[in-house]
Amino acid sequence: MQETDSQSQEQATATKVASAPAKSRTLWGDAFKRLRKNKLAVIGVCWIIIVVVVALTADLWAKPWLGSPTASDSTTMAETSLLAPCAEHPFGTDALGRDILVRVIYGARVSLSVGIMATAISTLIGLVMGALAGFYGGIWDTIIMRCADIFLAFPYVLFVVAMIAVIGRGLQNVFIAIGILGWPSIARVFRSAILTVKENDYVDAARAMGASDARIVVRHIFPNSVASIVVYATMNIGGAILTESALSFLGMGVIPPTPSWGSMIQDGQQYLLTAPWMMIMPGLAILSTVLAFTLLGDGLRDALDVKMKDA
Amino acid sequence: MKKNKNYVDLKDQPVPEGQHLLEVDDLKMYFHTEDGVVRAVDGVSYTLDRGETLGVVGESGSGKSVTAMTIMGLISMPPGKIEGGDVRYRGRSILEMTEEEMQHIRGNDIAMIFQDPMTSLNPVYKIGRQVGEGLRLHRGYSKQEALKRATELLDLVGIPEPEKRVNEYPHQFSGGMRQRVMIAMALACDPDILIADEPTTALDVTIQAQIIELMQEMQEKNGNAIIMITHDLGVVADMADKIMVMYAGRPVEFGTAEEIFYESRHPYTWGLIRSIPEQAIEEKKPLTPIHGNPPSLMNLPEGCVFSPRCPYATDKCRKQRPERVVTESGHYSACHYSSDPEFLKNAPETSRTRKDSKKGGEA
Amino acid sequence: MGKYIVKRVLQFIPVFLGVTLILFALQNIVPGDPIKLIGGDKALSPEVELQLRVRYHLVQTDEDGNAILDENGDPVQTSLVDRYLYYMNGLLHGDLGNSYQRKLPVTEIFAQKYPYTVKLAACAIVLEAIMGIGAGIISAVKRYSFWDILVTLTTSILVAVPAFWLGMLLQLFFGVILKDATGGAISMPISGAGGSSSQYQDWMHYVLPTITLASVSTAYAARIMRSQLLDVMNQDYIRTAKAKGLSNRAIIVKHALKNALIPVVTYIGVDFGGMLSGAILTETVFNWPGIGYEVYRAISMRDWPIVMGGVTLIVVVVMVINLLVDISYAFLDPRIRLGGPSDKA
Repeated sequence: MQETDSQSQEQATATKVASAPAKSRTLWGDAFKRLRKNKLAVIGVCWIIIVVVVALTADLWAKPWLGSPTASDSTTMAETSLLAPCAEHPFGTDALGRDILVRVIYGARVSLSVGIMATAISTLIGLVMGALAGFYGGIWDTIIMRCADIFLAFPYVLFVVAMIAVIGRGLQNVFIAIGILGWPSIARVFRSAILTVKENDYVDAARAMGASDARIVVRHIFPNSVASIVVYATMNIGGAILTESALSFLGMGVIPPTPSWGSMIQDGQQYLLTAPWMMIMPGLAILSTVLAFTLLGDGLRDALDVKMKDA
Repeated sequence: MKKNKNYVDLKDQPVPEGQHLLEVDDLKMYFHTEDGVVRAVDGVSYTLDRGETLGVVGESGSGKSVTAMTIMGLISMPPGKIEGGDVRYRGRSILEMTEEEMQHIRGNDIAMIFQDPMTSLNPVYKIGRQVGEGLRLHRGYSKQEALKRATELLDLVGIPEPEKRVNEYPHQFSGGMRQRVMIAMALACDPDILIADEPTTALDVTIQAQIIELMQEMQEKNGNAIIMITHDLGVVADMADKIMVMYAGRPVEFGTAEEIFYESRHPYTWGLIRSIPEQAIEEKKPLTPIHGNPPSLMNLPEGCVFSPRCPYATDKCRKQRPERVVTESGHYSACHYSSDPEFLKNAPETSRTRKDSKKGGEA
Repeated sequence: MGKYIVKRVLQFIPVFLGVTLILFALQNIVPGDPIKLIGGDKALSPEVELQLRVRYHLVQTDEDGNAILDENGDPVQTSLVDRYLYYMNGLLHGDLGNSYQRKLPVTEIFAQKYPYTVKLAACAIVLEAIMGIGAGIISAVKRYSFWDILVTLTTSILVAVPAFWLGMLLQLFFGVILKDATGGAISMPISGAGGSSSQYQDWMHYVLPTITLASVSTAYAARIMRSQLLDVMNQDYIRTAKAKGLSNRAIIVKHALKNALIPVVTYIGVDFGGMLSGAILTETVFNWPGIGYEVYRAISMRDWPIVMGGVTLIVVVVMVINLLVDISYAFLDPRIRLGGPSDKA
């Protein structure tokens, strides 16, 4: 039976070897091979790894080298404020004399944690909602999907801003707000995956053998839709990073002086004419990181052969 | 594309002396993919004249559809590549034609209908427009003329209330009706050759017979040739004049329908005959399937391509590619033992007895 | 069709009631007293504060319009239900109440601000439709060519760019670098809706905000168009058209485009609804006097009448646009218009 494939890799390999002796690949092994061939996706992965490593190890080298990202020492401020990029400050300095490079590096911590945590929250809620809607159908389906429609019909940024107004600013609240509002797209994907898989005979077979609903979802349906969920989640990380930057740009994100790329761009807005590097550098950081996640997502989509409705 | 007034329809020109309407000569079409070369069509030859029906029979992946698509110029190249051979239509090589010349051929001289009528019609246009499109293109009909003719064509292929139906969309038609529409569309410009690629596979059994009957009826009226592609030897049993049996991209046997059914010389054809349900029921013999799967076209076995599944395979079969053994009538078979009378005794008894009775009847 | 539209319009009602209820509930949850915020940095005198609370129907009043005080001398708050009914009553009469901060009727503020949002959205949607569909078609038709790679790369980057940052880059380039380089001969205004004193013509103020607002959606539209067209080109009916003898160009123009456009038009339509809801980020960057920025500011100032009115307006607009999109979808696709078994792959 087919569903055992995804449960046990060995068995899957065994059955496939039997039917097609030339190729003994599994779905994930095959996908990994294709992903490695995709140059853009590989570049994306490399960039993500670099950003993660740099952000995690910043305390060891960036702080001693470039100074504290949150320092505001008024004695040295006059000499070091608004310096153009130079050998000492590769990305220049801001109005308070802080080094932009070190702020960009520490800003990665905010962006990455928001991207990952918000996506984790969205995925969790989305999976539960999608499972309820797709598996039980009927009234559950109607209520949950109507809610999803309302969430999606709303102007997203305004929604997040309102949410932050309710729960207050701060890093944790940012990923809670973005995470809670991001569930509908994952829920839709999981719901339609369930609807497709539910039609398959092996689900009937499992049910006939007395498997419980939860067991069917976890053991039979989830493994078969994991590919599309992985693709959506990867792309969602980039989206969450963008939303965080927008929130911080509007002054509704993390609380200063914690550096965030969005708030750095906001700081740079008033110095656009005199010190454009203040906004250019963090913007490039957002662009490259989000792009890396998009490229990885595209690569995964092609490698796993996930059909997506849009883009 | 506007119809060029100076263009002379090839189908109005006579077939050159000593040649056939369509001649496929040792055609080879390979696909060059990342994983290797797929020998989709490897040395196909046959001839066809007006009024004749050729049945091309084989399992899926045997290259029968690719052969037809190559003749129509519907294979994208790359990845496809013609590796040899020729296709001549009224003496002109189709493979050497420019894309523009091919556009005149398609739909006008050679038309094609496809397996799945549910997806072969454009969902957003009315039936009348789709049926009349070829006429506007090749004959320069006006919109009204094309629509009028489309209505007549729908009537001709047995669609009730054609005046109403021309203004409907494909999703309002049933599968059988859609395949009738496809036939009307293909025959709109009165082509010389109609290629039908498994036209009945997606349809109900009862409707299959109607569609085949319709194609034969239209053939009688128009005198066109038909190339009927199918995986079911039973489908072509009554309608084909000639039959080509393909296996793994190669023709393994070619001959008249009589020869294929009653004097078959290839074990693969025997297998196909034994797996026709009607035949088995009639003769009260169990259905005998052909065991195993066709080989990967990228990785063909050494020797005879059918040897891994052939119950009679010998060491010679596994080592050496068989040559075609051609009889005087043009019946050929790619088997080492085609001319061994002892070996031919293994042929399905059913067909041999049938042959005798039929011959007796004719005499 | 008529039945369908009535059904959809009736579905508006629960959504509408739900949204207004949620917003009303929010007013009580969100920290910050809007009346205290009116004074800005200065504290209001208790008398003025009470007067304001009476005016905005936040405390109960007697027939003479004086606040009712409880035994401690504190004013009695109006209950949430009372206020909701009062608000809905006003809404039915076309009255959205008065802004706490601006002392103007909300309807008047919107009448002044909303045209800017609509005009900007209209410009952006036109740009998006032309550029997105055009680029997508070129990219799909000339697959793997230089142009395809260019479009794919550009759209990938645009999707990853924060729109507000792109807007600032445009300001920097057109308003500063180009101005300096050409001595002011060629440049674009860096803030929107400059007014009569501006050295620029009126339309020029729209250029940069339009590009900024349209950027991300144009990229998405191009990507959808490309993938749809490639998908359609693999359909069986395209092979049928080819077998009829149509040229490649005719196949794309006559058979592929109409099918491929259906989802793209849907996307662009829904996107237009989003743009009509105001573009907070674009409006913030360009000081554009639109409704998005207005509502955003109102949220931070706890100016509830504007938030309520703004969100109500936005929800209605989005619902109407989505309905129009669904209707146009039915017109483009006969399978939906005429019903019957849909065999969409």
